[in-house]
Amino acid sequence: MKRKSIAGLLLAGAIAALSLTSLGGCSSKETLHIYSWADNFDEDVLKDFENKYNVDITYDNYANNEDLLAKIKAGGGGYDLIQPSDYMVATMIKNQLLEPLDMKNVPNFANVQESLKDPVYDPGNKYSIVYMSGVTGIAYNKKYVKDKIDSWEDLWNPAYKGKVLLLDDNREVIGMALKKQGHSNSSTNEGEIKSAVDDLKKLLPNVLAFDTDTIKQKMIQEEGWIGAVWSGDAAFIVKDNPDIEYVVPKEGSTIFSDNYAIPKGAKNKELAEKFINYMLDPQVSAKNYETVGYSDPNAKAMQYHSEAYRNNHMINLTEDEMKRTEWLGDVGSTLQVYDRFWTELKSGRE
Amino acid sequence: MRKSKFLMIPVLLWMALFLLIPMIIVVVISFMNRDTLGNVVFGFSLTGYKTFFDSLYLGIYWDTLVLSVVTTVICLLVSYPLAYYIANAAPKIQTWGLVLITIPFWINFLIRTYAWVLLLRTQGIVNSLLLHFGWIQDPVQMLYTKGAVLLGMVYNFIPFMVLPIYVALEQMDKRLLDAASDLGATRWKAFRHITLPQSKSGIMTGCVLVYVSTTGMFVVTDILGGAKSMMISNIIQSQYLGARNWPFGSALSVIFVITSLILILLFNRAMQSKADRVKEGSA
Repeated sequence: MKRKSIAGLLLAGAIAALSLTSLGGCSSKETLHIYSWADNFDEDVLKDFENKYNVDITYDNYANNEDLLAKIKAGGGGYDLIQPSDYMVATMIKNQLLEPLDMKNVPNFANVQESLKDPVYDPGNKYSIVYMSGVTGIAYNKKYVKDKIDSWEDLWNPAYKGKVLLLDDNREVIGMALKKQGHSNSSTNEGEIKSAVDDLKKLLPNVLAFDTDTIKQKMIQEEGWIGAVWSGDAAFIVKDNPDIEYVVPKEGSTIFSDNYAIPKGAKNKELAEKFINYMLDPQVSAKNYETVGYSDPNAKAMQYHSEAYRNNHMINLTEDEMKRTEWLGDVGSTLQVYDRFWTELKSGRE
Repeated sequence: MRKSKFLMIPVLLWMALFLLIPMIIVVVISFMNRDTLGNVVFGFSLTGYKTFFDSLYLGIYWDTLVLSVVTTVICLLVSYPLAYYIANAAPKIQTWGLVLITIPFWINFLIRTYAWVLLLRTQGIVNSLLLHFGWIQDPVQMLYTKGAVLLGMVYNFIPFMVLPIYVALEQMDKRLLDAASDLGATRWKAFRHITLPQSKSGIMTGCVLVYVSTTGMFVVTDILGGAKSMMISNIIQSQYLGARNWPFGSALSVIFVITSLILILLFNRAMQSKADRVKEGSA
């Protein structure tokens, strides 16, 4: 009997261990509550801000925009500053989930590169300011890939059977195939989307995995030889595996950004604006992006960056490359079409 | 007796608050619609349910069923001998056996699953060893295959099968076996007519636990399967997040719960009647 109860206890413990809970803390100082991607800031830069203004920062993470949206929509969190990506800024504006920014509190907005101001997803920067931007291009390992790579078509090369990596994101992947066929990455034409997905079905034998979160590790470990990778991730990968090369395909590709925004009803809106302004200081900006590894949107910060950073072509794309890029636009109800085709593609069923 | 009823109240409240109410919300949402922004719109609609009867989603449902049943069967085949061995071993070995089976649960499930990535990838431990001993010339692609998904599922759910079967076998009155052998039954006959029917409850519990857990698991297909296959749980997750179609996700959840309940009932009934037949045969 005794042993039976031990087994029961162990089973109960095992089931309990499957569920996890997290607890947060609080403090009496004025506190800025940030909700953002993991490792999105240089730690020292945050500490400097805390010391300079005698405030506390709490920093919670989300793994994707949809988690962020769900939480903010539910009215939860009590966050003062969030970092939605481009299309999510548009969605959140439409859902009236963002506070308009008071630019009087953010004079350093003037430092932002002109090309990143007034974006399509938030005309006039009413609700958001760009934090980082990058493009989706092709990363490949020179040890295994000897051909010249300059087109999305190259991923379809039978020589890379089972070695191609793709992002686990329907808009990114279908958008890539749309670009390859010369259409907009945000097409709402069902025929175009279908033909792009048919093309992707032919790519499947080459695909090793769909992966967004750990695609970097798969490239570093040389499990994948070639794949569609974000520029900032490529810069990260090359630090650990110098054989990696990166190109923005000639057909063009997707540009994306993460942004500063303030959720509706934030308690410390002014502090959040103060933080944005602080982050846009040229010297702070340089320090931050050296660590983060994405391109610095601050036009006045370049002089403070290291030479290695300035010369890194994965971080700083050429004007020609930037001209070939397109934002992922809101496709409205066509999102359902994307989702259905994506399910078809991944399940192998129709 | 009266008083002990009150002891149920905390559990009942807990279940009502965190199981029943969310389930009701899911059922209600499943009959609603979504607007173009992905918000749930009030008003009765069967769109979510109609969408399910599309060959695409039916096919994925079938795939999920097959994978779950195969996982359950393999878990049973692996776990029964193990549970049998532990239940009949010396007390010290029993305790150690149980502890060893439970230890993996002390480590987060995600970390255990990523550990398989380290083992199986092309530059991983298994491939390195095979290459080192010259048994293969090129690394074998083991990860991001259906086999890796199955392996991950079976690995994760074996304890759910072992522990209930162990409990059933442990409880068994061992004197029955002595009686059987006195009456001239072979060991196989004694196992078939006594041990197996007596461990039935454990097998049933184990199978239901493994089956239900497998159908609801979407992380293993992503990590070990390279997100190249889809289970119904992957679709439910994406409907709630990326696709922002809560009514469809809810409808899928409801269908999922109902069909799982039906399958479990059918399974229980089959086990029951089989056990009865065995009992009659042995009487």
